Amino acid sequence: MSKTPAAGLGSVSVAAGLRVPASASRAPAAGLGSVSVAAGSGVTVSASKASAAASKAATDSPSAPAPAPLLEAENLSKRFGAVEALCSVSFSINAGEVVGLVGDNGAGKSTFVNIVSGVLHPTSGHVRFDGNLLDLANPAAARDAGIETVYQGLALVEMFDIASNFYLGREVLRTGIRRPLGVLNRRLMRNRSKASIEQIAAKFPDLAAAVETMSGGQRQIVAIAKAAFWGGRLLLLDEPTAALGVQESASVLELIRGLAADSNRAMIMIAHNLQHIWSVCTRILVLRRGSLAADLQREETTPEEVVAYITGVR
Amino acid sequence: MNSEPLPKPAASFLALLRRALTFTSAKARLVVLVALCLGFAFSSPYFLTSKNLVNVVLNAAVVGILACPSTLLLVARQVDLSVGSAVGFAATALTVVAEKGLGLTAAVFAAIGAAMAVALINAVAITRLRVNSLIATLGTMAAFRGAAKLIGGGRSISVDGFGFLGQFRFTIPGTEFRLPFAVLLLLAVAALFAFLMRYTRYGLHMYAMGANPKAARLAGVALELNVVKAFLLSGAAVALASLIRVSEIGATGPSTGMGLEFLAITGVILGGASLGGGRGTIGGTIVAILILAVLDNGLTLMRITSYWQEVVRGALLVAAVAFDQLRLRRGKPEVRFEL
Ligand SMILES: Nc1ncnc2c1ncn2[C@@H]1O[C@H](COP(=O)(O)OP(=O)(O)OP(=O)(O)O)[C@@H](O)[C@H]1O
Ligand SMILES: [Mg+2]
Repeated sequence: MSKTPAAGLGSVSVAAGLRVPASASRAPAAGLGSVSVAAGSGVTVSASKASAAASKAATDSPSAPAPAPLLEAENLSKRFGAVEALCSVSFSINAGEVVGLVGDNGAGKSTFVNIVSGVLHPTSGHVRFDGNLLDLANPAAARDAGIETVYQGLALVEMFDIASNFYLGREVLRTGIRRPLGVLNRRLMRNRSKASIEQIAAKFPDLAAAVETMSGGQRQIVAIAKAAFWGGRLLLLDEPTAALGVQESASVLELIRGLAADSNRAMIMIAHNLQHIWSVCTRILVLRRGSLAADLQREETTPEEVVAYITGVR
Repeated sequence: MNSEPLPKPAASFLALLRRALTFTSAKARLVVLVALCLGFAFSSPYFLTSKNLVNVVLNAAVVGILACPSTLLLVARQVDLSVGSAVGFAATALTVVAEKGLGLTAAVFAAIGAAMAVALINAVAITRLRVNSLIATLGTMAAFRGAAKLIGGGRSISVDGFGFLGQFRFTIPGTEFRLPFAVLLLLAVAALFAFLMRYTRYGLHMYAMGANPKAARLAGVALELNVVKAFLLSGAAVALASLIRVSEIGATGPSTGMGLEFLAITGVILGGASLGGGRGTIGGTIVAILILAVLDNGLTLMRITSYWQEVVRGALLVAAVAFDQLRLRRGKPEVRFEL
């Protein structure tokens, strides 16, 4: 059966302990407890800047043993008829890394995300997750392995409320004789998702409202909160800030930064806005016409260089 | 500039309309039902007699039983237009087998088998051959009307000793109200579907499939399997409806069950289900079916020709969709799934 969601977002902080030096361990523990994104009209984001710093300290720490990669893509290719959307892309990502995936329209970014999340079958190549070959048969398999995806276009059921969206496909059933009938445990699902979303977005207008009544930013927050709620170890975010205004982008980025503070989790974020990439990611992968054009550490590159790779000047 | 507000004659009408529309259509349907009953009660002394009321609900029973799976299907953006022909085919299978002297039990099984065969063909055409449900069931609607005439030779065939389902009456203690067994069957079917749609994972998934099929698929909802299940439920309802129909009338003919699909779908849409999927409830459908039955009965009592009744039904179907569209444009959708 499906796994239970991380107890609210509190679980995010639990992860901190292991490789983090003692001095820094308190900060990520504060992690999401202190992130609060106002999803209403206002912004008032108050994430602990310390948490991001602490997680960096964790990955930079010389005493940390070299971790096995969390995700390894090996020679991934995907053809759509004559279009070669991905050609032999290989790279690996470690736990704790926050990777920005950039490239022009049609470069193959969504195709990559959709392969890893089990929506698309690669024409060739495979994906290892946590050392095991990933069964790329369906979205549920990837989800069960610990990969949560926020799709481009979101894939929320707009007519449903937040709780139904959180649990769609992973419903909790009543126990006893009602279980074989498939009777939903509504109260449990409602309460758990309410607790979780309230922790992230303190001022959500109406938790029982249908998603279709929410703004674009609020919808993004719901979709990202859902991914965090299930405690995925790899988050794939396909253009989470596309079509958002300045304030809503800031809220969403703040939320993503809070999630990125967890050193046990890796994240791949797609965006066209390099400022957004810079504010969240520590490493940048550039796709150009389906091929990996560059793999850069943020500290060692500039937006100008990344643009040059995207456009093919370099 | 003059800051005095201009008189807006249209505003008051719009405000009125807005109020009428925010008045949820669940309540609106009940008001219509009660108003119709009151109107007919005043215009015909016969309307409120227990015998007539029993007639009204009896007429609603067969359509209502078929409308329950139709609601489930429309919520997931599917439609079954073949139910009328399937009832005719299953009922004819029953009378033909009984006529051959194979016994009533064999005849009942023949009807059930015939109904499930139609359902299975629909399910395969839609999920395997990927034919849109509107087209697939339009095809089976025509094909099985023909098949019914083929196996029955286009004759009227009567059957003896099969009156229980349609003719048995429960006398409600202390009243002269003799409730037909078929009405109890309708209540049971409605309760089953309401439970399924409101409280189970299957129901949630059907709403999700209608509201956003892509999101439902990404969430791991088994779209095809759920559609197959819904069509099999529709087949079971057809089987039950055909047994009740034969039992009521005691015979079948080439037009048995004709037009039932129209009545069922009119009821579903009048009951608040949206053609776009994701919206609709069993409660709404049942009230709408009662409205249609009362309307039919009342117009008959007022000696208005059945030709006019058909005109009224058709107009009502179009009006219901128009009202739905108007309400959607005003925002505030009525039914959505909520945990
Ligand atoms: N289902 C599909 N069928 C056919 N071609 C497709 C399909 N999906 C993607 N493609 C093609 O594959 C290429 C890569 O598309 P992809 O969606 O991965 O681009 P992207 O980098 O995400 O672009 P954007 O920034 O616009 O989202 C494009 O040329 C696109 O037209
Ligand atoms: Mg894309």
